[in-house]
Amino acid sequence: MAIFKLHLPIVDDIKQKGLKPALLAKVDEGVTRLTAGLGINDIRSVLRGDPAPRPNPRVKPHADGFWFHMRPTYYHNLVTPLYPQFRLGWLSVYFMVFETITGVFLMLFYTPSPLVAFENMLNILSNVPLGLFMRDLHRFGAELMVLAVALHMLRTYLTGNYKKPRQFTWFTGVLLLLMTLGLSFSGYLLPWDQLSLWAVTIGASMVEAIPTPYPLNLLGDQWFGDQYFIGTFVNNLVRGGPQFNDNGLLRWYLLHVLGLPLIAFVFIGVHYYKVVLHGHSLPPEAEKVGEDTAKRVPMDQRTYFMPDIITRELFYVVLVTFLCIFAVTLGGYHAPLEPHAEALITPLHTTAPWYFLWLQGMLKVGDKVFWGLIAPGIIFNTLFVLPYIEVGPSRRYADRRIGLSVGMVVCVTLSMLTFMGTPWYAVSSSADQEIIAEIVPQTHPGPLRATPWDELTVGTYEAKNWEQAPTPGLKGLLEEYEHAVATAQAKDKEGQFKNLENLLIIEEWQDGLKKITVRVTWQDATGERTASQDVFLHRDSNYGG
Amino acid sequence: MTVRVVTGTIILAATMMIVAFIMVNEPNRMTDFESGYKGRSVEAGAALYDTNCKGCHGVQGEGIEGVGPALNARDLFDGRRLSEIGWAGTAYDYVFSSISGGRPRASSAFSTYPQRMPTWSSDFGGPLRPDQVRNLADFVMNWETTAMAQPAETPTPNPNAAGTDLETELPAGDAARGDKLFNGQEGTYGCFGCHSLAAGEVKVGPSLAGIAGTAASRVEGYAAEKYIRESIVSPSAHLVEGFQDLMPKTFAQSMTKQDLADLIAYLMTK
Repeated sequence: MAIFKLHLPIVDDIKQKGLKPALLAKVDEGVTRLTAGLGINDIRSVLRGDPAPRPNPRVKPHADGFWFHMRPTYYHNLVTPLYPQFRLGWLSVYFMVFETITGVFLMLFYTPSPLVAFENMLNILSNVPLGLFMRDLHRFGAELMVLAVALHMLRTYLTGNYKKPRQFTWFTGVLLLLMTLGLSFSGYLLPWDQLSLWAVTIGASMVEAIPTPYPLNLLGDQWFGDQYFIGTFVNNLVRGGPQFNDNGLLRWYLLHVLGLPLIAFVFIGVHYYKVVLHGHSLPPEAEKVGEDTAKRVPMDQRTYFMPDIITRELFYVVLVTFLCIFAVTLGGYHAPLEPHAEALITPLHTTAPWYFLWLQGMLKVGDKVFWGLIAPGIIFNTLFVLPYIEVGPSRRYADRRIGLSVGMVVCVTLSMLTFMGTPWYAVSSSADQEIIAEIVPQTHPGPLRATPWDELTVGTYEAKNWEQAPTPGLKGLLEEYEHAVATAQAKDKEGQFKNLENLLIIEEWQDGLKKITVRVTWQDATGERTASQDVFLHRDSNYGG
Repeated sequence: MTVRVVTGTIILAATMMIVAFIMVNEPNRMTDFESGYKGRSVEAGAALYDTNCKGCHGVQGEGIEGVGPALNARDLFDGRRLSEIGWAGTAYDYVFSSISGGRPRASSAFSTYPQRMPTWSSDFGGPLRPDQVRNLADFVMNWETTAMAQPAETPTPNPNAAGTDLETELPAGDAARGDKLFNGQEGTYGCFGCHSLAAGEVKVGPSLAGIAGTAASRVEGYAAEKYIRESIVSPSAHLVEGFQDLMPKTFAQSMTKQDLADLIAYLMTK
């Protein structure tokens, strides 16, 4: 009597059918289980675009499988072309996954501590195979993700899809927009370079303005130290102290890799669940006012997920991945990395990330509390409640003239505010500093560092004599110098700034090292004055150019 | 549909080719980045040197006599300076740790530089971050090529130098010659520039009128000659109340034993 009997069915199969057919049948069985219903031949027929056999095995994964049950079995023919959706929601999810993959790679080589974070960056760039590539992809994907999410919201607004019954879908969408902005912004701080520190400082200093509300303010100084009790508290919370420190960095890091992604993934689930529940809404002009026919798709107007949508999505995955990889390699996009964070050195023109420039523009308009806190608060709260207060029944463009006009006005205002957020608008710094920053900026290499090292011939040169410079590189550099002087003088309308002399002094300093002094001399009400900046350039430093 | 599948496959192949191309190039790229970054580190170090170090070590690392030793000198790189102080590590380590931790005590091997080197790394309470100290060390090490091109000869230390050791035997002193040395008629010590011999008159340093008497009572267990000798070769050892430590610290090296003996003999007559 056997106390243990081992039975391998595959052995019987091989005996019966022969080795190859038996193994193939086994593989086919495995694939069928994995796809919850599609065998190898079914998959091949999907990819070939064959008409579905009857009974249709392609419906089974949607009923039995986890991944496919999330996707509709078929779409309305009217929502599958580029219009009205432009694939923006799909792109947002794509980038979320893309960022997770590249982000996990970077996480392997990163420690959230001010002592080593910047060194980790250098290590990723110099010592990790594909480190630069992954970092560039992560950053590039992040920019595109913000863009995709913002455009997705704009498109939803324009086609009126936030209206009943999809109010809550919109609500979670606004939440996801905030998560996206938060993810992108929190990622800014992590490299611990000058860009990180100062971009995030702008953001953090805004929360510092939160005033203590009534009636807490009546308790007075002896309780809370100063009038910005809550502001100071929140500021300490986000920075880890009065200055950004290791605690602050750890908080932003955990928010970036854990907190925000967790919330975002949960709400992507809710968001997409609602999308499928209510159906992808048809173009506004395709249905009668007040009707929602998205869930009732006539038999003859169906585009099935398999084979059409799935091959299309696979194609998009390949295409978008290719474009991203192309951008960071042959396209030459590289994530910036500035010098190590330095709380004592403020770069001349500090700007927030581009998607927050409108906020920085608003801060230039006036009061920090109103324009930095109350106004953005109103904007985002309005977005949240929009579908509940804008209840006009029609989604048609012709019936929504006011709504669409408001949308356009908001877009134009945001563009203007974005411009106002840039250093070109209403930033007053002295002309001499502007000239010097033009030649040797603190935030990026700039023309001097990009000039070929060998062409920086030792000597003293004056900007206005640029044509006599001995080398082409130096000639171009001095011409830019002269141009910067002209621009600064044109800006100075009151004629305070009488430029006298603009020198560029190049000295041999060490083996392979030159010292370059940019010296601007001018005359103002107080007499003759000089500003100068020393820059050291090494033969190997390779700033590109 | 077929178009999608075929184009998709082609694009996928193209993507994989790009990634493979990057992969192959990675070692070169990483090497380039490393040398580029080293260059930028030297630049950053040069700027830091300019603000923090040139005051004592000279604008171009040539050193300032009596304040800070030369850093662009051959002996730092060819191992001589390291072996003199018994340093077992590399020159880079020596430079890096000297900047980081400073020198708690003036090095006995360099009695011409009695000042102590301050601590620079924030690890030890200094003002610079460790990466900035690395930048500085990279900058200092960048002098190696030019320094090693200097002639290798060692300047022979003066065997007749007075030295800071108070126990070495001095030759017999000649007070008359000491008078000339003190008043600048011989030698270049220029004592009279700061020290008056009139009672109570203060030029820069204390008056030396009656020094033979006061010197004996200044430090317990010190004879007057010993006190005067120490005050010349190690001026910081004992300061007269109300005076700053301004006397040059170079006499231990620049003064011969005979000159020292003569000066002491002369001062003992005052």
